[in-house]
Amino acid sequence: MNLLPSKYRFVPVVLMLLAAVSVFTPVVDDPGLQQTFAVAFLFAALALTYDLLLGFTGLLSFGHSLFYAAGAYGAAYAMARWEWQIIPATIFALFFATAIALFTGATALRVKGIAFAMVTLAFAEAGHVIATLNLWGLSNGDITLQLRPESVPEFFLGVNNTRNLFLLSLITLAIIYLAVWWLTQSSVGRVWQALRENEERVSVLGLRPFSFKLIAFVLAGVMAAFVGVVAVIVTNNANPSMGSTGTTISLLLMVILGGIATRWGAVIGGVLYVVLSQRLTTLNTEGALSSFPEWIGGPMSEPAFILGVIFILVVMFSPGGIAGALYRLKMKFGSSVK
Amino acid sequence: MEIFITLFITGVGLGALYFLVAAGLSLIYGLMDVLNFAHGAFLTAGAYATWYFTTYVRADGSLTSYAISLLIAGLVGALFAVATEQILIKYLYNRHIDQALVTVGLGFVAASAYLGWFGTDPLVVLPPVDLYNVVQIGDAFVGLDRFLYIGVAAIVLLANFLMLRYTRIGLIIRAGVENRNMVTALGIDVRKAFTFVFFIGGFAAGLGGALATTYASGVGPTLGDSFLIYAFITVVIGGMGSVPGTAIAAVLVGTTQVLVNYYVQGLGDFVVVLLLALVLLVRPQGLLGKVVR
Repeated sequence: MNLLPSKYRFVPVVLMLLAAVSVFTPVVDDPGLQQTFAVAFLFAALALTYDLLLGFTGLLSFGHSLFYAAGAYGAAYAMARWEWQIIPATIFALFFATAIALFTGATALRVKGIAFAMVTLAFAEAGHVIATLNLWGLSNGDITLQLRPESVPEFFLGVNNTRNLFLLSLITLAIIYLAVWWLTQSSVGRVWQALRENEERVSVLGLRPFSFKLIAFVLAGVMAAFVGVVAVIVTNNANPSMGSTGTTISLLLMVILGGIATRWGAVIGGVLYVVLSQRLTTLNTEGALSSFPEWIGGPMSEPAFILGVIFILVVMFSPGGIAGALYRLKMKFGSSVK
Repeated sequence: MEIFITLFITGVGLGALYFLVAAGLSLIYGLMDVLNFAHGAFLTAGAYATWYFTTYVRADGSLTSYAISLLIAGLVGALFAVATEQILIKYLYNRHIDQALVTVGLGFVAASAYLGWFGTDPLVVLPPVDLYNVVQIGDAFVGLDRFLYIGVAAIVLLANFLMLRYTRIGLIIRAGVENRNMVTALGIDVRKAFTFVFFIGGFAAGLGGALATTYASGVGPTLGDSFLIYAFITVVIGGMGSVPGTAIAAVLVGTTQVLVNYYVQGLGDFVVVLLLALVLLVRPQGLLGKVVR
């Protein structure tokens, strides 16, 4: 890749994505599978935006789900209540999420490290409370805010068109991947990575860490909101669990499992997490766990249990996740070839 | 006015429960820089211990059984906490983010294990009938259980204070919160203090869990997590590592939440977060936290 001038380095990335699309699309032809992968791609995209914060800027946020939910609810609300079309609704949702990200980011970034994590968690919880309890009649609570069918093009509606949703998610993932790739390669991205390594040196160089961190926080939030808008189209509603802390924690698991600050690690982690959760549930309903005694079979029937145990093992024994493990393998066996 | 008194004391009671969770969080963070996301799991473990004890072992509904169940819940929480420290945290010294991540994973695993073992629906825990009595204060009537929460939290606060002030281990913990490297350099094994703060933090959380079953009249797999978020808020408002600050913040958070929730259901939870934002804007280090240098 180094043969190309830096300006054109996105070309191989685009080519790889196109190849992935052309290979994947005919293989996955069952609507159920297409839906699973559509959700998996969306979570992969969301994990990428989270990696922008955690991996590239070194910000441990526990409130990322807030922006995902803000995008989803912003768009669903504009469509359902104001009868807007999808494009203006998307633009509204992005502005809405930007405003929230600016406010919460500017407040939370007054503290650092673990306190920052807690404050973002609290903000996300406030959003989650609004959505769950249907405060001010905004969210319909647990009934969920349904997608208004008239607001989206017809080729996104109905089971027959699941393939289009699948493609939409894949394209969303590609867009987010390119955006994150471009941002992390840019000069701002280099400052983020410098902040992650050593904040004091960055401020000694005359750059304000606060501004750069806020930019990262807002951009990651806006991208998450965009994924939220697409999620409304794919899953047909905006629901309170989108904004729960559980969503953020699963993003954290995806990024750590896949490998932090590598971009494709987050993608692999996201896809693997969603597909594994679904597969483990299927395994369980097929009775694969019935041979275990009850006290171990019970927890084993929860995909979150197995994924959580894998997560703990990865954190303790394989820092860097899947990407890190592959890197170490490459170092061990590949260096002599080079 | 009567309603205000009732709500206020209920709020202080809820604050007492937050304090039981937050005190351990604050001490663990202050001494070890570990944000313990598994603390909610300790609380839930204590709550399930109470459920088991008062349903299968001594289901006579007497105050004695209840008192024993509180003690058992505390010990279950403490053992869980010490096991966490010994099996997971201990091997990740000086990797603070990884320590936090491991506790996130543990909380995740514990919540799904509870779900697998006990199911989604909350299990009903019946406290002794006497706790349902009301006390008259002026014209207001307040449930007796509120005073129990406040009493237990006050005892824990006092015990904490005495331990920190007058015992050798308390001296080591206070010194460790100030400057851990200096304590180590003086040849004191600060890791024993780590295990100890996990023990008392877990004990307080387990106690809180047992009392929370009375407050929420049951225990479900996510009981601890719902308390944990407000305990985090309490810790940040009070100032990391300061137990008195945590106590003040707990009362503030509990009363605000209950009072506002009385007028608009759910708004109290929201206002508490705004309170947190406000405190951070005015005093980023929290009410009684030390300024980070």
